[in-house]
Amino acid sequence: MKTKKIFFLIFLFTAFVLNHNVFAQSDSEKVNNFASRFNQYENAIKNAASLDECNVIGENIAKLKEEFADSKTLLEKSLQINYDEEFLKIERALEVRKGDFTQIVQLTTEVGSLKDKVSELSQQNEGLISQIKLLNIRTAKDAATIASLTKLVAQLKSNIEQRDQLVRGIVDSLLQEFVKTPGTLNEAEKQAVFKKVDNGNLFYNIERTISDNVQFMKVTQMTADDLSKMKEQYRDFNKVWRQVGPKLAEVYLNRRDKAAQVANIDALFTDWDLRINDEMWGQVNKLFRDYKLALLPFRSGDQFVNSVTSFVDDEIKNYGIKSSEESEKTFYAFTDSVYFRTVQPVWVPVLIENNLMTEANKDSVEKRIATWKEKVAPASKMNWIYIIGVLVMAALIAAYFLKGKKIKPITFEEKS
Amino acid sequence: MSFQKYFSALLLLFIITACSSLTLKPADYSWPIENVLKVDSKGFIEEQRYSFTLKVKALFYEEFKDSTNFSGKEIRLIRDKVGFYYITGKDFKNVYVFEPEENGMDLENKILVTETGLLSPAFNQKSPNIELLDSPNKYLLNYKGIVRK
Repeated sequence: MKTKKIFFLIFLFTAFVLNHNVFAQSDSEKVNNFASRFNQYENAIKNAASLDECNVIGENIAKLKEEFADSKTLLEKSLQINYDEEFLKIERALEVRKGDFTQIVQLTTEVGSLKDKVSELSQQNEGLISQIKLLNIRTAKDAATIASLTKLVAQLKSNIEQRDQLVRGIVDSLLQEFVKTPGTLNEAEKQAVFKKVDNGNLFYNIERTISDNVQFMKVTQMTADDLSKMKEQYRDFNKVWRQVGPKLAEVYLNRRDKAAQVANIDALFTDWDLRINDEMWGQVNKLFRDYKLALLPFRSGDQFVNSVTSFVDDEIKNYGIKSSEESEKTFYAFTDSVYFRTVQPVWVPVLIENNLMTEANKDSVEKRIATWKEKVAPASKMNWIYIIGVLVMAALIAAYFLKGKKIKPITFEEKS
Repeated sequence: MSFQKYFSALLLLFIITACSSLTLKPADYSWPIENVLKVDSKGFIEEQRYSFTLKVKALFYEEFKDSTNFSGKEIRLIRDKVGFYYITGKDFKNVYVFEPEENGMDLENKILVTETGLLSPAFNQKSPNIELLDSPNKYLLNYKGIVRK
């Protein structure tokens, strides 16, 4: 029994000594181990993809702090750090990251509700566009049809505006995300962006917004004011997209389908812009066509100047060949009924404001019209017409008064 | 005469006082942990933290009698409280203790640790001594030799 006890004690002692020796660790190894784990947790915080992951990292940090507490002085001297401060820093970083996820959860919910509203409005818009198309097809439009059409157009316009604002909201929130994390995004931040884009069905909704606006242009008769507002809306939206688009393209570098969608949206924005421009020029073209003034088609300020110049030159050339009455009729239709009545006061400011035309273009057109006027309705000719007109009027007035006045015979009374 | 004596004594005292060196004490040169440094192709090691370079080619000749086979090898270096540098490495039989001198280091002691060569040596600071680990063996050293095995 005694031998057994002694044997057990020897065994314990040997085990203790061996254990002590086997686990004798190099201090530099210990320091490296700590530094590497600390770095690992720092990176893990940056790359964390969820709140749960952050919680696990938190637990690991606590373990690390406890595990190396005995070697605090060694670590402080070797790594030239303040052990407690370093842990405070990393714990603070973890809290900030946790905050990001809380915010992302909130934003995801927000985006989710926006998405529902957007879908609802998109469905409504689709119905409205078909109804407007149907009413437009009807050749005979009675008062009720026109009233219904106007009401539908107003509703569609308001719906499109609301939907645009909602989609803008989603894009804006995404932009905030990018602004918060400038430069290259880490994997977790990329995941957050993917989630937000998917939750908001962002790409589809932007495409839909643009195509609905284009459809709206097609099915309704838009005024200069409407088009000017739409252009402004395009500019605002495109500005935000130009900030978000390249960053999304960078994020989706490895996802070909999404990268293609980003490129497609770029193309859609360009198309939308071109369509608004075409619509504006088309409306101006139509004003001339309505008065049977056959101007060459134009889609830019320079083309407009060339078209007017060519038309006026032809008219001047044909002056004398055509009857002067016909030439004058064309001139007055062009100037009084179209250009100075609608184009110059309504469309030219909008075109200039949207950089589709320059002041120089406007001056060129008006100079050309002045040349034409000199030929067809010169001021000298006008003066004679006015003089003759004034003389005739004066004669008529004089005749009226002379006729209406009875001439009294002059009598001389003799004074007695 | 007496004045001359006093004057000479005073002058001597003044000269002695002026020539005595200034000593700053105490100092602690100990590094908290060892440094593991790779020898480059020219036989130099470069210490980043304390910022010095040292040519160790001669050390390899001293240890292995071969001054060509050093490139890429690792040596382990630590400094004790007094200021001596302890150098060793894998397959070394000895730990070399150096004292810093102008533009180099002077060998203070060569401590034989094992005849078979160290397998995975590592230094720890155990001020005022230095601990050498070579699993499962442990040695406590100072610049004079092995204190405890």
